[in-house]
Amino acid sequence: MGFEITEKDKKDTFVILPAYNEATRIQPVIESIARKGYNLIIVNDGSSDNTLEVIKESKMKYPDNIHIFSLMINRGVGVATQTGFDAVFKFNPKYVVSMDSDGQHSPEDLDNVITPLVKGEAQAVIGVRPLKDMPFTRNFANWVMNLLTRIFYGVKVSDSQTGFRAITLEALRKIDINARGYLISSEFIREVHDNNIPFAEVPIQTIYTPETQAKGTNSKEALKILIQMIRHQF
Amino acid sequence: MLLYSILFPIISILAILWFFYRYLREKQSLMTVILWTVLWIFVIIFSIFPNASEHFAELFGITRGLDFIIIVVFLVLFYIIFALYNRIDILQDEINKIVKESAINNEITLDDEEEE
Repeated sequence: MGFEITEKDKKDTFVILPAYNEATRIQPVIESIARKGYNLIIVNDGSSDNTLEVIKESKMKYPDNIHIFSLMINRGVGVATQTGFDAVFKFNPKYVVSMDSDGQHSPEDLDNVITPLVKGEAQAVIGVRPLKDMPFTRNFANWVMNLLTRIFYGVKVSDSQTGFRAITLEALRKIDINARGYLISSEFIREVHDNNIPFAEVPIQTIYTPETQAKGTNSKEALKILIQMIRHQF
Repeated sequence: MLLYSILFPIISILAILWFFYRYLREKQSLMTVILWTVLWIFVIIFSIFPNASEHFAELFGITRGLDFIIIVVFLVLFYIIFALYNRIDILQDEINKIVKESAINNEITLDDEEEE
């Protein structure tokens, strides 16, 4: 019989969703996570659409599971995720997950991603996206970023740009994230590696739509990350 | 006497006075004022005595005085861009810290909605 995540494990897990202008996509993501019994910290990243109102609607349905924090101006996915990582200490859970709020990641993968943490096999996990499903430009940018993460941070991973990651609260205390934008993905991996935190990779599914493809690490973002990685060497 | 040899010294003197005024109002550090004053004094010297640039050029092994001035201007501009870039970077970090702290200390509740 396989290992199963209990209701208590889910209650002990907080899922962080950074959200910028996701009014049309975020509601099903929030509600399917809350329905599964997980707690959520949603960080509205200074959205200019009605993302915050949509999040509040979901909170009315799941008032105990959802916690909302809102940045007064847009500061980027890195800062929004950092806000979630800092806010989570107020609730003292055992496990912390961060994932995209645009529907690219499936809430069905939450159990798989936290399983190595619950079983004690690892203290940090990244969800690895299947390369075959990835559009060519995204796939190429990802390959380049994996190479750069290996060169600059000395860590070999299958998917350095994944936004789906999980970590124990104890390990989260040890890492120091300062990235403002998409560099956060590589920085998370570097911090986990540098702090000798036991680490695992878990395959996840990715749902690509024209909208989700427009976001994330494209070639322009990859160039920005490269510049930031070079700067971090000094 | 050419127009620039009158105009540039006047601009330079005004600039030096401006920097001292800012220093007195504690908006500028002494080191910044000194560096800018030295730079503006060079502008005055080169405007009134253009041949002086050739002596400085020789010191650095550059053949023409004008080349020396252009190189110095480029270096000053690069320094200004670098200093501004650094300053913006620090400001960005400070803004992020304030925005983050404000968000964390003000969790949004459904009561906020009712109050509105």
